[in-house]
Amino acid sequence: MRLESITGKYGYITVHGVKYRVYFEESGEGVPLLCQHTAGGDGRQWRHLMNDEEVTSKYRVVAVDLPYHGRSLPPESVEWWTEEYKLTKRFFMDFLVEFSHALGLDRPVFIGCSMGGHMALDLALECPDEFRAVIGLESAEFTPGLDIIWFNHPRISGEFRFANLFESTAPSSPEKYRREVGWVYSQSAPPVFRGDLHYYSVEHNVTDQLHQIDTSRIAVYLLCGEYDFASTPEMCQQTASKIKGAKYTEMKGLGHFPVIENYELCKTYLMPILEEISKIHG
Amino acid sequence: MPGVKPSTVPGRLLAEVVSMMKIRFLDPNGVENVQERINSDPEFRIAAKYMSQDILIAADDQQCIFKVRDGVITKIMVNPSPMEPWDFFIKAPEKSWELFLRLLPPPFFHSLFGATIREDFRFGGNVEAMFTHYWATQRMLTILRQFQNEPGGKS
Repeated sequence: MRLESITGKYGYITVHGVKYRVYFEESGEGVPLLCQHTAGGDGRQWRHLMNDEEVTSKYRVVAVDLPYHGRSLPPESVEWWTEEYKLTKRFFMDFLVEFSHALGLDRPVFIGCSMGGHMALDLALECPDEFRAVIGLESAEFTPGLDIIWFNHPRISGEFRFANLFESTAPSSPEKYRREVGWVYSQSAPPVFRGDLHYYSVEHNVTDQLHQIDTSRIAVYLLCGEYDFASTPEMCQQTASKIKGAKYTEMKGLGHFPVIENYELCKTYLMPILEEISKIHG
Repeated sequence: MPGVKPSTVPGRLLAEVVSMMKIRFLDPNGVENVQERINSDPEFRIAAKYMSQDILIAADDQQCIFKVRDGVITKIMVNPSPMEPWDFFIKAPEKSWELFLRLLPPPFFHSLFGATIREDFRFGGNVEAMFTHYWATQRMLTILRQFQNEPGGKS
């Protein structure tokens, strides 16, 4: 059997007084790189990055499944079935910082996609001393209008997410990986995707705060796929233009899920940034 | 979609200058071929298994209705009577359909959802039924795209 270098573990952390059993994977050694999955997704989205020796020879790559996602179950001490699932910015941010502390990561580089890309901006604003750099993929200051009822409706199955997220990728990306995006999306519990969109499309709005981000304390890189209709290149570029010192790159031929839909192409955009960070901020 | 503003994208500009192509699935002479192509597609057969809907597709003033019963397209009506019933519709200007039907569509025209929230595609009617059968509808549109780009497909 050929084994990958990725290892998975379970650990316990407490956030806002609630204990969570969380699953995370890691690979490599070096500068810590904390990876955040998309809304309704999980850490599997980072499998190509975590298997890339060019990355793992310089970085300790860690990908966590947020509670309620992937292999991180809901907490045992909460009657979660009596509450509507909604991801809040406060919990999301505090969870990531707590998780980073729990693993003893020293000012990791944060990379996140979609809601993870939005979180890159929130972390840069509110926790600049916790991270040395943030890389926001498919990031934007505000993405209203996508908290849509059909993403969690008793008469609409996960098949809709399977199809809808598949077509959020670029048409030129390899079919097998486009389908994998849909597959992962069809697997989350019914309320999770839309509950995450509460953060992505309702709560996250840094329009009037972007100028406060100090890139001398935390480096900010924003990238957006040409085919991303959720957080469009125009929106991402506009966001970057409001942050003094932030660097923006449009990724041609990629959609909303660059690291999974076409990692080889995504890598051509990502690797120079990882090289730069390891040289300047390593 | 409330709150979602259409963006200025190359595709929109492209729509203004795109060369005129015949939309093949709106050609009454090609209807049988389209029907056969969709019904023989393995993915459509799985995705549409429980689908019985009438889908109105419109490109400017050209229209057709795809009648689906138990996962099989039983009839495609080109330029149907206004009295003909349908369950949900997908509408766009002809020039936008031409972009959507390209083998490699410009950004946002690659997706029904994207072309609707960022461009000038619109869907309506029984929207719940459309989202219930989104996979099948999406696959049907993909086959129409393939059909459009087969040899002899462009005028």
